[in-house]
Amino acid sequence: MKRTIVLGVLLGVFIFAGVYAHAETVIKYAHWNALPQDPYNYVKAFEEKNPDIKVEFIQIPEAEYSQKLRSMAMTGTAPDVLCLWEADLADFVRAGWVLSLDAYIKESKELSLDDFIPAVKQLMELQGSLYGLPWCFATEIAYYNKDLFDKAGVAYPGMDWTWEDFENMAKKLTVESEGKVVQWGCDAIGFQGLWYSLAGTFGDAIVDQEGRFSMGSGTKEFLNRWVSLTNAKVVASPQVTTSGVVSADLFMAGRAAMAFNGSWMTSVYKDITDFSWDIMPLPKAKRSYSTLHTGFFAINARSEAKDAVWKFIEFCMSEEGQELINKAYSNPSARLSVLKKGYYKVEGPKGPRNWDAIERTAEFAEWGYVLLPPGLTFDIVKDFNAAVLGQMSVDDAVQQAIEKAIDILGEERVATE
Amino acid sequence: MRSGRAYLFVSPWILGFVLFTGGPILATVALGFTKWDLIGSPVWVGLGNYARLFRKGSEFWTVLRFTAFYTLFSVVFSVGWALFEAALLNSRGVRGTNLFGFFYFIPAVVPMVALTFAFQLILHKELGILNYALSLLGLREGPNWLVDPKVVVWVVVVLNIYTFYAGQMMLIFDSALKEVPKELYEAAEIDGASRIVQFLRITLPAISPILFFNMVTATISSLGTSFTLLYPLTAGGPGKVTQAISLDIYHNAFKTFRVGYACAESVILFLIAAGVSVVMFATSKRWVYYEV
Repeated sequence: MKRTIVLGVLLGVFIFAGVYAHAETVIKYAHWNALPQDPYNYVKAFEEKNPDIKVEFIQIPEAEYSQKLRSMAMTGTAPDVLCLWEADLADFVRAGWVLSLDAYIKESKELSLDDFIPAVKQLMELQGSLYGLPWCFATEIAYYNKDLFDKAGVAYPGMDWTWEDFENMAKKLTVESEGKVVQWGCDAIGFQGLWYSLAGTFGDAIVDQEGRFSMGSGTKEFLNRWVSLTNAKVVASPQVTTSGVVSADLFMAGRAAMAFNGSWMTSVYKDITDFSWDIMPLPKAKRSYSTLHTGFFAINARSEAKDAVWKFIEFCMSEEGQELINKAYSNPSARLSVLKKGYYKVEGPKGPRNWDAIERTAEFAEWGYVLLPPGLTFDIVKDFNAAVLGQMSVDDAVQQAIEKAIDILGEERVATE
Repeated sequence: MRSGRAYLFVSPWILGFVLFTGGPILATVALGFTKWDLIGSPVWVGLGNYARLFRKGSEFWTVLRFTAFYTLFSVVFSVGWALFEAALLNSRGVRGTNLFGFFYFIPAVVPMVALTFAFQLILHKELGILNYALSLLGLREGPNWLVDPKVVVWVVVVLNIYTFYAGQMMLIFDSALKEVPKELYEAAEIDGASRIVQFLRITLPAISPILFFNMVTATISSLGTSFTLLYPLTAGGPGKVTQAISLDIYHNAFKTFRVGYACAESVILFLIAAGVSVVMFATSKRWVYYEV
């Protein structure tokens, strides 16, 4: 009997020791994108380097991402590693759901704040502390069809082109046949963010330094010009936008000489084979302006494995992690030293070639409208479209935008001119 | 003892109802009196959300107007279309009706998102096949189907015929029409009644309970589930021209995070649906015949 008890105890000790020896920290990580396949799977690469940490990946569909993360955070079931959109980051900070990364980055041998694009520091100043690190970034730029420019004998836009240059080019590149436009100087605005970026070039802050909604005279000037171009049939009529994106693309169809869109469209347009094309920063009106897009890696304040979470974030932000992420999603790194390496440059047979356009844009681009609730910005765009279609005046559309902002954000978060 | 056992058997349903239907309904009503952005605790605002909904100049009036328009015409159009298709399938002397039935029903089982995406392309002003076809007929500038406010409201009504419930209604009408006694038609023919008179005097009264059932379900579907058609097709635009109340609830709750406001809208939607149903049941006594 004694022998059995001793054997039992020994067996128990061995089992316990075995389990302990293989104990690993499990952290949960959520993202709206599926994990990329090998060789770009950055989670797998991290696990191989850190066998004591296992990352449990959760994919949340993009359309539900924001509300899902909020409900998870509210019920204490949010993942340890959060990749938060700009507007959500501000709310998560306000709710105390994410940790400040100041101490972590101070001690990091891999990362330095000086190595990030300027907008990261701006956001840190706005929020009083660093709460998230951008997993990569995208911005909004201009696209042009080189073949149509050549055919019309119009010189390509330069890096410092202005709004006047854009208007003149668009007019020269518009072609009519039998009273019908067969080639537009520029496609209608396809992605909702461009309304804000282009309005920003006319001087409106969009979101000012105190984080307040700020649109007014610049937006009016931009809208009036855009309405004139649309009425003159130089710019195509607006199309329905669901989730902020149109379903058909005149630029890709070779029927619009220029288009404004997100830099992520380079990965779509790279498959174009029937005409040459390239990219440029948005034309300058009163200033150079564009919007940045990203998701911020953040640490769930309730996580029980904060150090492991930081290890994961640090890996993702390291050159090794950034190379995998940049190549997988064709988006540039927000780390200047990695950005220069150009891992994101995935070229097609006909374009793009002028990658400086994205890097130049990163120098002046701001977070802007992405810091506001997406419902508000989407609603405002619908009114801008209505103004372009002549369903309401430009002044009314802008006034309505301000009223909507007050209604949703509260008066204290809206700057009045 | 016996009743205790009965309660035991129905308890899963009761539990499910309390947890997943009754509880959320009560929570919605309660949250309608609060301001809440899914962060922190809800703040009591009393009737504030209702006051904002019905204040002068509120966009909710536009939403209500479109909801009423959409519900009325989509019910008329989809019920009428389903009945028309079912009547075709029951035409005397027509062969291959099963094949026709299959083709009539197919759009109802295509996922709504795929269907609406296809229609976005078909109805595109510049690249769409519909305007291309119209140009072949000599129309130089085709309409901007999904962006012109005067046109788009009718487009979304017409596209209702492709929704699942329209297909379902056709099947129900089809089986109801098969149940109408043939002798009635034979007697009417002997009396010299035309096909239209036969349809109005025999068919419609005979299937009136089914017609009523389909109208009630179509009304509730139009009010509540218009979201599945409108969100991917127009997202409520241009402006708020096609923003039905179901879409507005989603938008306010999950895009602008005004959960209390959206809950107040949900309560209004519930009251509208209940009110319309009561009116329909009350008036049904005049035109629904349960015995032929």
